[in-house]
Amino acid sequence: MAKKKDLDLASSSAKVKLGVSDIVIRTFGYILTTFYALACIFPFLIILGSSFTSESYLNRYGVQLIPHEFTLEAYKAVTKSGLIWKSYILTIAITAVGTLIGLSIIAMTGYALQRRDFPFRNVISFYIYFTSLFAAGLAPYYLLMTQTYKLKDSYLAVLLPLLMSPWLIILMKNFVKSIPHEITESGKIDGAGDMRIFVSLILPMLKPALATIGLFMALGYWNEWYQSSLFLSSRVDVKPLQYMLYETVNSTEALKQTVAGQYITVTDIPSNTVKMATAMLATGPIVLLYPFVQRYFISGITVGAVKG
Amino acid sequence: MKKKLFAVLLAASMVLGLTACGAKDAPASNAGTTKTETTTEQSSASEEAAPAIDTSEHVKITYMFTGSKPEGAAMDRFMEMNDKLNEILTEKCNAELEFYWIGWTDYLSVYNMTIAAMDGSIDLIGTASDWLDAWPNAKNGAFLELSEDMLKTYAPQTWASVPAENWELCKYDGEIYLIPEDNYAQWTNHGFIYRADWAEKAGLANGVHSWEDMTKYFEYTTANADALGIKQAWDSDGTQNTQLASGWVASHTNFVPIDGICSSALWGGTKDDLYTVVTPAYTDTDMMVEYAKMMKSWNDMGVWKKDVLNNTTSTNRDDFRVGLVAADQHHTQTWTDLCSPTPSNKIYQDDPNAKAGFFYFGEETKNVVALSITHGAMAISAASKNPERALMVYDLLRNDEACYRLINYGIEGVSYEIDENGYRINPEGYNPDTDNVGGATSWWWGRNDNLELRSADRAWDQIEALYDEYDKIKINYPYGQFIPNCDSIQGKIDNCNEQFGNYMKQISFGLYTGTAEDIVAEMQAALKAAGIEDVTAELQAQIDALYK
Repeated sequence: MAKKKDLDLASSSAKVKLGVSDIVIRTFGYILTTFYALACIFPFLIILGSSFTSESYLNRYGVQLIPHEFTLEAYKAVTKSGLIWKSYILTIAITAVGTLIGLSIIAMTGYALQRRDFPFRNVISFYIYFTSLFAAGLAPYYLLMTQTYKLKDSYLAVLLPLLMSPWLIILMKNFVKSIPHEITESGKIDGAGDMRIFVSLILPMLKPALATIGLFMALGYWNEWYQSSLFLSSRVDVKPLQYMLYETVNSTEALKQTVAGQYITVTDIPSNTVKMATAMLATGPIVLLYPFVQRYFISGITVGAVKG
Repeated sequence: MKKKLFAVLLAASMVLGLTACGAKDAPASNAGTTKTETTTEQSSASEEAAPAIDTSEHVKITYMFTGSKPEGAAMDRFMEMNDKLNEILTEKCNAELEFYWIGWTDYLSVYNMTIAAMDGSIDLIGTASDWLDAWPNAKNGAFLELSEDMLKTYAPQTWASVPAENWELCKYDGEIYLIPEDNYAQWTNHGFIYRADWAEKAGLANGVHSWEDMTKYFEYTTANADALGIKQAWDSDGTQNTQLASGWVASHTNFVPIDGICSSALWGGTKDDLYTVVTPAYTDTDMMVEYAKMMKSWNDMGVWKKDVLNNTTSTNRDDFRVGLVAADQHHTQTWTDLCSPTPSNKIYQDDPNAKAGFFYFGEETKNVVALSITHGAMAISAASKNPERALMVYDLLRNDEACYRLINYGIEGVSYEIDENGYRINPEGYNPDTDNVGGATSWWWGRNDNLELRSADRAWDQIEALYDEYDKIKINYPYGQFIPNCDSIQGKIDNCNEQFGNYMKQISFGLYTGTAEDIVAEMQAALKAAGIEDVTAELQAQIDALYK
């Protein structure tokens, strides 16, 4: 993040004049970044190409950048039941609602913990941090969720556990730290209430933080499958996307590999290309999130907000 | 001052929170035992009224198992079967059956958590002692103890059909916890699948019955590859090395491996002395040297490709179906497929003389161990509100023809048909994507050979002949109740497995340099260094504690 900021500053001053050393460094930088970008995008293209290749061809000749025999076999296998579109809608809904609620809670927590006039803020911070050190283990957690909170087969079981995490709260708190206390004071002098100060003064300055943490949360919700596997039983028809896709891949794999498979005739399901198609479908829409939040990464400059 | 007080309060609440967690844990684990007590009370109460079984109240029995829930049109088909089944169950014991799938994603932990919740939402639990945690769950009190009276009263047909010695294998601490699937033939012992018609040409008129015969067979097929139209005698993949080694050991000793510790079966007993832990692959030097020599001769012949160890995904089985290879190594179930004239086995369409034979490992020494009878078993949840009715439902599903066919095959005319010879065939317009109802019920915990409908496309005369041979020599898997506690020796077990695997890659494919004696000695030294003797001693102590 910080590096990006520097680059940004550098490019804005670029119009002035470029020395030879600047040009050299810049050329070198561009080449390096290009290679790095290619290294990142190449595997993705291979997955894309392979997902359109037929299973038999893939097994024989390996992964393909450009499919030799173009086929939609794998995509048909994944979308066979039609449930996947409902899963898409569900996951988008959970991601949107979860991120929105989570962000607002985390932002408020982070801000409150950083307010100088909030007593015991360090103790409470430590209390929050402390919970990230210990976990009771899977069994107690499962019993707590299903028997105390009665969240079995409820989408809340997927939504709630990801709402707040100590790590994100600490991250937010550190972001808020960079906002001078004087801004809160100036709001107070002008007669604004706490909520008003938070919404009108603090939140706009927290945009880069909200973008970063929001992205973390959205990715977390989008990729969530573990809570779904634990708490959403076969009584729930529509499962979140990742779990549903994971299950599609796993059920064919498991049948082939576990002992159970020894006495089941596994029809030729395109398991390898299905994995590729699954990866493509799973990455899909969330990639579009990056361009939207990216600009906040570079525009978050609070320098100069307070004068004097 | 105020600040300090608050800090103290916070700390106190934290400590309380921690202890609360600990305390919460305790009743959770106790819940199992207390609930078991109450249910046994219930069952003893109902025993008194045993002669008149009370089924006046309509109940729903939930059957939990691992499997994939059908979706879309397949689910509609499934529900048609379920409705029909419920009609019969309602009529016979005033109950209906609900299916509860545990998906394959992370299935073992989800399975165990669902059982541990003990909230009464589950009645029948499909389980297994080797690939699902049947015994740990029984020990934790999650499974109901099934008293003899209870079984006699509510599952009379099952009780009568399972012999007493099999019930013994389902006991923990003297109580029955599992109902075994003990009347279903499934053989998963490995061996070589070969072309019997080609073996005859190789001078083996009676087929292959030993590793030496196999050498002869490979000599013929490698020398006449072009004439036979094969591209390779056996296009093995490199992962088969330890399986081959255990096959050799089975054929030359009366070793009975303990399953579950390692895929390569390093530890086990012997048929004469089941409860003394030995490792013939480590101690019997002459046998292993002979093995190394034979495999080298196979490699020199060119039985497998030179780069066999790099080969992880072989298409050997499909090649066998179309006659491009001469052999395959897998278990009996696979052979029952390959020896049958199914549409995918093209060799039988191309060549009327084609025949697939099976040389099973252990044939020379008559050393065949049957699959554990608790490889599939049914348990009743200790939290079940209607354990009696659950048993009644299970008894019907396992022994009543109409119920059995519904849960295993689906609706007649839609999912299956019976031909004039009594075999099962696919009806016209059968769609495997939606109509394979039997594939979605995962009924692997109560199959019954008396009611099985044999698939018409299998070569049953050949299969029966082999099964009969097995039945004469087999022993039952003796370690079904032994769950090794490997915590203290896991590292050494992993080391031994790794070392054994490394050396077997070279030995099993004859790809070692130097003499056979050297490589075997080297392997033995490596196993010793990996701590094989400590593992043997620890397993012996645990076996002694259980069986002696």
